[in-house]
Amino acid sequence: MASSPQLPLADDLFLTAHDTVKGKSLLTPATLGLGLAAALIGELVFWRRLDLVDGKLALIDDRPTGDPATTAVLDQLLREGHHRAIRDWISFLATGIATDLVERRLSRAGLLHRQEKRGLLGTKVSFVPADSMVAGWPATRIRTYIGRGELLDVSDLVLAGLILATGLDQHVFITLDARGREQLFDQFRRRLPAMLQDLVAHAEAAVGDAVMARRA
Amino acid sequence: MSSTTTPPQSQLSTALAKDRLGVAAVVFFVMSAAAPLTVVAGVVPTGLAVTGLTSISIAFFAVAIVLAIFAVGYVAMSRHIANAGAFYAYISQGIGRPFGVGGAWLALLAYNCFQVASYGGFGAIASPLFKDWFGLDVKWWVLALICWALTAILGVRDVAVNGRVLATLLVAEIVLVLVFSFANVLSPNFHASSAPVDVSKLVGTGAGALLAIAITGFVGFEQSVVFAEESRDPRRTVSRATYIAIALIAVLYGFASWSMISAAGGNAVDRATKEGPDLFFNVASDQLGSAAVHLGHALFLTSLIAAMISFHNIISRYAFSLGREGVLPRLFGRTVPGTGAPKNGSLAQSTLGLIVIVIYAVAGWDPLVQLFFWGGTAGGIGVLLLITVSSVAVIGYFARRPEGEDFWHRIGAPVLGTILLLVMSYLTLTNIATLFGVAPGSGPTWVVPVAFGVVALGGILWALVLRTARPDVYAGIGLGARSATSGSGGGGFAAALAGDQGAK
Repeated sequence: MASSPQLPLADDLFLTAHDTVKGKSLLTPATLGLGLAAALIGELVFWRRLDLVDGKLALIDDRPTGDPATTAVLDQLLREGHHRAIRDWISFLATGIATDLVERRLSRAGLLHRQEKRGLLGTKVSFVPADSMVAGWPATRIRTYIGRGELLDVSDLVLAGLILATGLDQHVFITLDARGREQLFDQFRRRLPAMLQDLVAHAEAAVGDAVMARRA
Repeated sequence: MSSTTTPPQSQLSTALAKDRLGVAAVVFFVMSAAAPLTVVAGVVPTGLAVTGLTSISIAFFAVAIVLAIFAVGYVAMSRHIANAGAFYAYISQGIGRPFGVGGAWLALLAYNCFQVASYGGFGAIASPLFKDWFGLDVKWWVLALICWALTAILGVRDVAVNGRVLATLLVAEIVLVLVFSFANVLSPNFHASSAPVDVSKLVGTGAGALLAIAITGFVGFEQSVVFAEESRDPRRTVSRATYIAIALIAVLYGFASWSMISAAGGNAVDRATKEGPDLFFNVASDQLGSAAVHLGHALFLTSLIAAMISFHNIISRYAFSLGREGVLPRLFGRTVPGTGAPKNGSLAQSTLGLIVIVIYAVAGWDPLVQLFFWGGTAGGIGVLLLITVSSVAVIGYFARRPEGEDFWHRIGAPVLGTILLLVMSYLTLTNIATLFGVAPGSGPTWVVPVAFGVVALGGILWALVLRTARPDVYAGIGLGARSATSGSGGGGFAAALAGDQGAK
């Protein structure tokens, strides 16, 4: 068993995307936004509110989840009944909405705090992990499981997938040996439901497009 | 906020439509890759000196007409396929994936030709200016290496030249070209010369060389379709921008070349040989004074650097997209997480640039003619070949999927364009000796076609290997990273799903 509590998928991704020492984001804001957007959609799939079919989101249950961040996304989905393409939703939520929702959820949990930096051109507000230990949790957990040859749960498998999709693996999985990698990849292939494989693949494609369009 | 009422305007549509591009923006993007001063003051005078041919203006117009006809089908097809920015996407879907990969590799080589050519051009042009301005005697390759280092560092850190800076430079370049051209017309030496617009030269000996020089000036126009998905009106914005860009380039370059040759006092070729890239500035100097010439030179160098940096980014992104599709090794599909820079594509381009500069410096080859001009026009020939094959691909694509386009867009223009492009390609390939100013059959004349042939063949073979070894990757060729069916979505996760051992 891991020694640390597991947070919602998007929160875990946010923490993983931040440097444990300085609290700085390891990703560009655009890439972080795309990863978090996919993670929030993934959470709604876990809540059994959404399915992903042929690149489109299908609403299967419109009851609030009880969690403000995912409920906000669900509300938006209900309001925008015409739009169902997953790529549109990832792009839309990545415009700052997803990052904002996740930052607020983590702040409420006391895991982030606001940091104001006075610069040459005014004050820059950012959210940094309150505790450097906390930021390292999710990645450590995944590495520990893989190191012991244990199976990851579905949420952590999606997290690991998004780590690859956003390029965070160059920080997080750098210490994994070839056997560990193959073990993780094998779990992607065999234990991740097709719907979630597609979700991560779409997130990855969105990250690539952002690089091509110089938005990343 | 109620969740049952539909608001009059969708927040999602509004947010995603926020930065849609108009015609002017697309024309700007396209023309900034075309680098007007580099062509008018760099390529054209060097071309005069090397080939001794003066009918360059008519060549610009002829190429513009052929490209406009090609663009009819090209833009029409861009409306139907994903990943419309790259020739190989057209070739893959119009003729077949193996040829598509061959085209992708050929394009990479052609674009690299331009990039390394610009290092040579900068060194050769800046070296005498440094002596003139600062009294410093600096070797061309020192200056080329400084530029190379700047490009390499900015490339891997993904610092782009700001769009506004590029736009300002472009406008300044166009204004400068126009001012100098009109000054030429008013110069006392000016005798309206008919040589630059002599149509008969387009069928005579050397026609291929003229066409190769002209097509080099248009490179970049093909990028217009990249913006299809970001444009305000996908059906109109891109096609209008493409025709406008082609027309603007033809008129600007054609007029500038004609005025320069006319003002050179009947011995344009001799003067071009002696004065090189200074010719464009010198012929107008008696009208405008030396300050204008200095300003022109300074702008020439700045815009060359800006072009270098943007072109480097285009190449590394191109390698990135190929890496994600599996058309190049996967490691090219990696970026620096903190900046989004396509790291390996950038590093590979820089390595190649360094090798070429060092080889030219050690061998003592001429940076202006043998690197800038040969490299630039070789890249132009590569792009011409790609355009020709893409034109065939347009016919092939619409033959199978005729829906949604009329006869002219599907068959009329593409067939006419293909015939004209095949003739141009033939003339160009058989005129390389004239173009390079070397003896027929000597080394440089066959190096270029052989290099393009070998690289294209390598791509075709690679595709055939993929077809048996990695059918999932093969199936996604030419569809872009956008095609997020599992296994062809592009990066590390897709590779992991597909069981790709090479993903690191």
